[in-house]
Amino acid sequence: MLDVSAFQEALGIMFTSAGSWGWIVPGLIVGLVFSAIPGISITMAMAIVLPMSLYMDFFSAIVFLTSVYTGAGFGGSVPAILMNIPGSPSSFATTFDGYAMSKKGEHNEALGYALFASTICGILGYVLLLLVVEPMANIVLRIGPLEMFAVAIWGMLLLGSLGSKYLTRGLLAAAFGILLGTVGMNTAGFTRGTMGLPELLDGIAPIPAMIGLLAAGQLLTLAGKDYILDAESAREVSVRKILIGCWGTLKYPGVLIRGSIIGIIIGAVPGVGSSIGNLIAYAETKRTAKDSATFGKGNPKGVIAAESAVASAEGGSMATMLALGIPGGGATAILIAAFMMHNIVPGPNFIETQKPMVYAIILNNIVQAIVLLAVGIGFIYVASNIVRVRTRYILPAILVIATLGTYAVTGETAGPITLFVFALLGFALVRYEYPISAVVVGILLGRMLETEFLRSYQLSGGNPLYILNRPGAMGIVAVMLLSLLMTAWGKRKQARAEAAEEAAIERLHQEEMARGHKV
Amino acid sequence: MTHLTRRDALKWTAGGLAAAGGIIAMPSILRAAAYPTRPINVIVPFATGGYNDRLSRAFAPYLDKELGQPTVIVNKPGAGTQLGNSYALNQPADGYSILCTSAAPYIPLTVLLQNAPYKFEDFAMINLPSRDYTLAATSSDSALKSYKEVVDKLKADPSSISIGVQPASADYANMVLAMQAAGIDITKLRIVTYDGGGPARNATAGAQVDVGFVGAEGFLPLKSKIRPLAMFAAEKVEWYPEAPLIAESGLKTDFVEGSQRGWAVTSKLKNEQPEIYKFLVAAIERASKNPKAIEALKMQDLATTWYGPEASDKAYRDNAAKMARYVNLLK
Repeated sequence: MLDVSAFQEALGIMFTSAGSWGWIVPGLIVGLVFSAIPGISITMAMAIVLPMSLYMDFFSAIVFLTSVYTGAGFGGSVPAILMNIPGSPSSFATTFDGYAMSKKGEHNEALGYALFASTICGILGYVLLLLVVEPMANIVLRIGPLEMFAVAIWGMLLLGSLGSKYLTRGLLAAAFGILLGTVGMNTAGFTRGTMGLPELLDGIAPIPAMIGLLAAGQLLTLAGKDYILDAESAREVSVRKILIGCWGTLKYPGVLIRGSIIGIIIGAVPGVGSSIGNLIAYAETKRTAKDSATFGKGNPKGVIAAESAVASAEGGSMATMLALGIPGGGATAILIAAFMMHNIVPGPNFIETQKPMVYAIILNNIVQAIVLLAVGIGFIYVASNIVRVRTRYILPAILVIATLGTYAVTGETAGPITLFVFALLGFALVRYEYPISAVVVGILLGRMLETEFLRSYQLSGGNPLYILNRPGAMGIVAVMLLSLLMTAWGKRKQARAEAAEEAAIERLHQEEMARGHKV
Repeated sequence: MTHLTRRDALKWTAGGLAAAGGIIAMPSILRAAAYPTRPINVIVPFATGGYNDRLSRAFAPYLDKELGQPTVIVNKPGAGTQLGNSYALNQPADGYSILCTSAAPYIPLTVLLQNAPYKFEDFAMINLPSRDYTLAATSSDSALKSYKEVVDKLKADPSSISIGVQPASADYANMVLAMQAAGIDITKLRIVTYDGGGPARNATAGAQVDVGFVGAEGFLPLKSKIRPLAMFAAEKVEWYPEAPLIAESGLKTDFVEGSQRGWAVTSKLKNEQPEIYKFLVAAIERASKNPKAIEALKMQDLATTWYGPEASDKAYRDNAAKMARYVNLLK
């Protein structure tokens, strides 16, 4: 648990290197701006600023980079809410209700909900990290392929709550997405579906593919409109409404806590990152909510659930990085590089010998989350002015920015080409009423599903009883089934209640009719 | 602007070539003055933050001083270095692009397994200071105490121990060679494949698999979580002396070196622009021997040892030849 003397020393480090605090705001702004640009992920934003941090002293460099990380964790939700185009895969679930709220003219509130959910759960994640950084890391190492496979299946359950007009087309779209996700060389060294292109050996780049698919759908719906919002009165940008959203977040502590727990655990698992936590948190919140029918139509709880998991995943991912020296995702891989460039190797040794420094880093992240509240309100105030711009200006601008974004960072035409191909695919999907979101979920999870299933098979030697040796996996499956059963039970009860209500109304009606006849 | 300087550079180097192949040798100072006149790109075929990226960035200040021009790190990750390697080969052979790469195992692997559109001989090594070896390791709380124990158990029942390894890698080849040497049926092993050294190490440290065969260097931060069983090296490795060598288990097996990382150029540059090549070799040699560079890189666990172009090229070619010999094991 918390080592008090190290904690006090950590406070000392924080205050003696007060100069480094100056890097928080620039870092947050860099993170917000980069991640709000469709096509630039958190990892890319950090890779861009990494060389810059070489010229700073150690603590300043880490403060700067983690600030970029914190800012970027939220920035992706801004285009997700305003334009239905997530800035990065981790804010995909935010689009479901965030954009629906925007369409209703509640974009100010939606951004407020997202910001507060993001910061509160970011803080929650780090506080928990402060307490359990070491035991957590040891648990994370024990999570094996079977457990991960169960988590991936859980993520796929989201498909059930996406809802589409035709069930068969939804399933077909998901299967197609999973197939796309498995393109490239798999974990056993087999190459599939690359069509001889070396660029595809590492798989389809998820970010340009996702943006291509979603932007195409958006272009079709927005092209016929003058503005993103139809009603002129709705196109306002109001700090008051943003604050109402911020405040409103506090009314859903249950959603925040559930989202945080899912986010922390999944964020801590090496190699998964936050792009699946938000899907699971969203699906679970929707499934257990009484008003689940309004999810996807602008329910603030959907925004809160998704954002809370993204933000808390940061803390989880930092835990693995600090305690084991293992990156949870791309962004923490960059952080490790920054540590190494300052001659510090994170890992069990680092945490034993430099606990005050570890605490100082965590505490500084909490400070960043608090500062993000203020900086974030300013940022979303500026960004939400996009609703006042005509779509004829926005659409080309988004396309150009997304194309540049996917090109700029690697300097390879593979990014823009992927974007273009998937935009065409997106057009076709929308035209024939296949749900695009199911394809995106498939792309995001396909690789993980396949890899973890294959490893479980290899480990067990094909023996299905292997699951009995893995209590963790059994636990996850049990919780998942329980959650599904409870939903089914709840739905049934609800359906019965509704039927009973209808019957009662019908009876009343008939009685009235009968009475009417008598009179 | 750059166009002009590039043309200048071409003119000068062309002059230098004409002089070298011509009647009178031009004073070397004149030729040296012509190159380099603008920043030099260091192509790293990996993403930011990997070993080569860190090596190039940490080495840059010392190399810049020797080159008289700044270096620009260009990250070209993807397809197991094939994209970056192809990119490097497509650059003009004017000395403004050099590589900082993991020559082994990636160049042979992309050639042998991915049908990369180049040959081993298209690359010329300048210096490969970082050498890594396959390490067979187990989780620190595992019941397995030595490599001999692993062999004995596998001999009795090949499916009794699960093995984590990255397919199509030097580690995989070493694992198969060691199993063959011990007379263990490979088809009956429980092999779990990982698409990178990192995940395979995590699985080893977390006891997901009983034994992992992975590059040893990456294990250093996780040292306290694992027990080294056998290092696939001919002599003790100075940065991991407590790891027993494979020979100590009593097993006689051939093996390939895990990685050889460092500085390289295209063979085209070496052959067509010998003066520029010599200049680059000399600059890298001086920077590698700079005590300040050695100290700074050591702090980051990065290697600077100067082996020179002959030794480095020989090591690289030997490794490539060995990989080609064992290519069937890699597939």
